[in-house]
Amino acid sequence: MAEKTGKRKSGGDAMPSRSHDGDVVRVDFAFKRELAEKIEGDLANYCYQCGACVGDCPACTYSDGAFNPREIMLMVLYGLGDELIREDSILWDCTNCYNCHERCPQQVKPVEVIISMKNMLADRGFAPPSADKVIKTFLDTGRTVPPNPAIDKQRAKFGLAPLAPVPVDEIAKILGQSADEDGAS
Amino acid sequence: MKRFAFFPGCLIPARHPAMEFAIRETLTKLDIEIVDLEDASCCPDPIFFKSKDKLDWLAVAARNLTLAEDIGLDIFTNCSGCTATLSETYHLLQDEELRTQVNERLSRIGREYKGTSKVRHIATLVRDEIGYEAVRASVVRPLTGLKVAIHYGCHLLKPSRIMQVDNPDNPEVMEKLVEAIGAEPVRHRNWYLCCGKACRGDEIPNQMMRDLLTTVNDEQADILGMICPTCFGQFDHGQMKVGKLFDEDFHTPPIYYFQLLAFAQGVPYEKLGFERQRFKPTALQRYEEVAAE
Repeated sequence: MAEKTGKRKSGGDAMPSRSHDGDVVRVDFAFKRELAEKIEGDLANYCYQCGACVGDCPACTYSDGAFNPREIMLMVLYGLGDELIREDSILWDCTNCYNCHERCPQQVKPVEVIISMKNMLADRGFAPPSADKVIKTFLDTGRTVPPNPAIDKQRAKFGLAPLAPVPVDEIAKILGQSADEDGAS
Repeated sequence: MKRFAFFPGCLIPARHPAMEFAIRETLTKLDIEIVDLEDASCCPDPIFFKSKDKLDWLAVAARNLTLAEDIGLDIFTNCSGCTATLSETYHLLQDEELRTQVNERLSRIGREYKGTSKVRHIATLVRDEIGYEAVRASVVRPLTGLKVAIHYGCHLLKPSRIMQVDNPDNPEVMEKLVEAIGAEPVRHRNWYLCCGKACRGDEIPNQMMRDLLTTVNDEQADILGMICPTCFGQFDHGQMKVGKLFDEDFHTPPIYYFQLLAFAQGVPYEKLGFERQRFKPTALQRYEEVAAE
């Protein structure tokens, strides 16, 4: 626990939800390094906290500000990984509408930074069960809706061919780092 | 006849075969040859699978794109989610380092991503390759007087730098497509809102849908036109759920645009699978009676 400085940090106003008012913010660089490894995970570095992402964010509007993309980017800048990378993370409230990506004058792509953090959540087994279920169905069948005879019967009514099987073995091969990836070529 | 590779994705072929039927009907009438992609998988989905691992997501998407590259064709999609995944992949893989990483993955199965097949949503394919006038000319029963509220959804338009489809703040492609079949597009006040499907939990999407459906109701539209199967689910089953939850009379039948186009091109109402919808677009039936006379 950080010592009290007795003085409010300038960033405190931006995060009224933080309870340790006046605490020293300790940047978790390990979190920032890990996030930067993810595709487009490092983009938050360009955020200057203008708030253009906030006005059009439906998750922000309909959570009374509990989900706030600017505050999330600020937490990333501060390296406050503990508040985001944990079970039941607020990041899953993102609607993936891409309005923040559209509005950001710095091309931070807040939604992409959020998805990169979801990758970190998934690495730790913190993805919600609904996500795990879709991913498992995909890995098993190559589709997010598994084929079954009822579907093919419906399709036949419209003169459509049955759903073709997907070569899932082939797909499994391109997932994940290979053991020899570092030593390759 | 122009040829394009068809990427149908998961939702439409499995859950909404009527939409796939309508796409095949309408595009053929518009002189597009549909070439089915063999061995295609889920795009993969830009919400959950992308949340698992972005590099895995890119690798699977790139594999799908190489299937079209193999036959030298551009791809068209019929789902905004597939459009998002495949367009973003095309965009991201212009980065050499990322492309090398992805190609290392693909080399395990003897494939290489080259970036030679472009990706387009079917709505833009129709706009750019066929044109509104040709759509108008294919219509045998213009839906004059049919009020169609428009729902664009998110991923057809945004991020606009990547999708390059239309002005995200004032798009017109859907309006023009609706006008081309003789109907009257209306823009409700919350047209910009997301359907909420990709959000965890119910509270945020329920409130959002309530506001969205309220402004749809204000327009007293006959139907709600859209181009995404995920949005469709939210507005069919979801509309019923949200109506019950808030004790509101929400009742505007959603329709996937290409079913509407198929109907305007003369496909009978009962062949378009509307009986499976919670909210049935019975307003269309009056055009059938006129045509029968």
